[in-house]
Amino acid sequence: MRPFKLIRPTTAKEAMEAQKGNAAPYMAAGTDLLNRIKEHVASPDSVVDLKQMPGMGTIESDGRGIWLGALVKLTDVADHEEIQRRFPAVSTTVRNAATPQIRNMATVGGNMCQKPRCWYLRHEGYPCIKNGGTGCWAKDGENEFHAIYDNQICSATQPSNLAPVLVAHDAIIEIEGKDGVKELTADEFFIGPSEDPLREVKLDQGEFVRRVLLPASTETSLWAYEEAREKQSFDWAQASVTILLDRGGRKGDHRVIFGAVSPAPLRREDIEKKLDGSDDEATQASLIVGVGANPLSHNAYKVPMLQGLMRRAVRTVRSREEG
Amino acid sequence: MEDQPLDSAEKEGVSRRLFLQGAGAAAAAAGISRIPGEVLAEEARSREITELGPEAEKITLKVNGSDKSAAAPPSTTLLDFLRNDLGVTGPKRVCDRGSCGACTVLLDGRVVDSCSMLAVDAVGKEVTTVEGIGTPDNLSQLQKAFIEKDALQCGFCTPGMVVACTAILNENPKPTRDQIRDGLCGNLCRCGTYQNIVEAVESVSRTGGK
Repeated sequence: MRPFKLIRPTTAKEAMEAQKGNAAPYMAAGTDLLNRIKEHVASPDSVVDLKQMPGMGTIESDGRGIWLGALVKLTDVADHEEIQRRFPAVSTTVRNAATPQIRNMATVGGNMCQKPRCWYLRHEGYPCIKNGGTGCWAKDGENEFHAIYDNQICSATQPSNLAPVLVAHDAIIEIEGKDGVKELTADEFFIGPSEDPLREVKLDQGEFVRRVLLPASTETSLWAYEEAREKQSFDWAQASVTILLDRGGRKGDHRVIFGAVSPAPLRREDIEKKLDGSDDEATQASLIVGVGANPLSHNAYKVPMLQGLMRRAVRTVRSREEG
Repeated sequence: MEDQPLDSAEKEGVSRRLFLQGAGAAAAAAGISRIPGEVLAEEARSREITELGPEAEKITLKVNGSDKSAAAPPSTTLLDFLRNDLGVTGPKRVCDRGSCGACTVLLDGRVVDSCSMLAVDAVGKEVTTVEGIGTPDNLSQLQKAFIEKDALQCGFCTPGMVVACTAILNENPKPTRDQIRDGLCGNLCRCGTYQNIVEAVESVSRTGGK
């Protein structure tokens, strides 16, 4: 691996000075960045390691909800009893991510900010719109795992397992920047290529994620997370459906979020409106899954896959109501 | 020498591994411009801004219960540091991307892919490799079960498998078959010996050992 200088700041000011206009990438555990350096798609002279930053390594709750530090390991999120009780969809999606080894290393912030898993983006021989070239190799190439929605500029999907469930819960992303700490909603944080083809998350120069709030106001026991992948374990999702019903006890406050089928988690308000408790709601919901889809040459299978996941998720969430 | 380098080396009793270690040490000695003292662990503990590298730094890790030091660039992965700088060659370098688990070690008792983290991030923590789980003269119950159940073929995944299976049993002495499989989802065996590996873990679980 190409040698680099490792800078370990302990204050936000030091971190931003060390980062110098994105030339030195931020690193948490490094499970993603080190791979990209080995693949020669990142060649930094310096890396800014955030692990010495205070206040980013704990899970704490207050009146607003549960705060996840950006440096908390995925295993510790999955095993956290209060999160299991109050935000079971979050525990479940995190437990489904990667392997025990990776979950013991990878962090909340790193998971949210990892680069897409597009095999062209991660190959030095294929400069695309995201890394110094133009266009998208996947659009007319090998695209079986790529996006079926919003895929015309770049068809890589958002790889974070946390992303859809954070959007479903209106999670608040606490960001440290040059003007101090600010908050974005998860929906504002995860962005698609039409907003900026170079970024997948809305972090401006020098900014990094400090903490993530799971808001108490979106807790619900009516949840479902259904995911399809090629292998039973340790695989990225080909498609996923997250449902939350009656968030915060408010009747009709639903969320339906698709994962792994678009460059950012995809909220489907039209499907949320179909979840009215009627006998054929699962059918009605699955019938409109394909609206807006524009499959590429090798991934049209994702539409019926999502329809199946949609039906399964509606059944799951209603079974919790009865139980 | 150029005609049959490996043969002649072997005749003189130099194994390939020893030869490579010697060559690496010579290269490292030539390339190191500074080696500060035992500052790294202290620096990691204090909350001062630290800049490490890109040149080699002295790194001290607690590996299998004892402190071991070597100089390496801070960009060195834990796996490469263990194998190339400390000579701890149990963890294997296969995919080097956190996908196969052949490099699995315990970090403070938890399984990690040593290829996908920096050696300096293991400072102050307990690193346990397969060498720390048992020795040829004193095998762990699990290692004995691996032999008894024929839980290896080519053996390249075995050090990582033994470490991962040990962690499964440490966490839960009575795992179900599904829990064992789930716990091993980050370890690939291309010979396909999974069934025998699961049986080895189950046999230890039945007898209550490790």
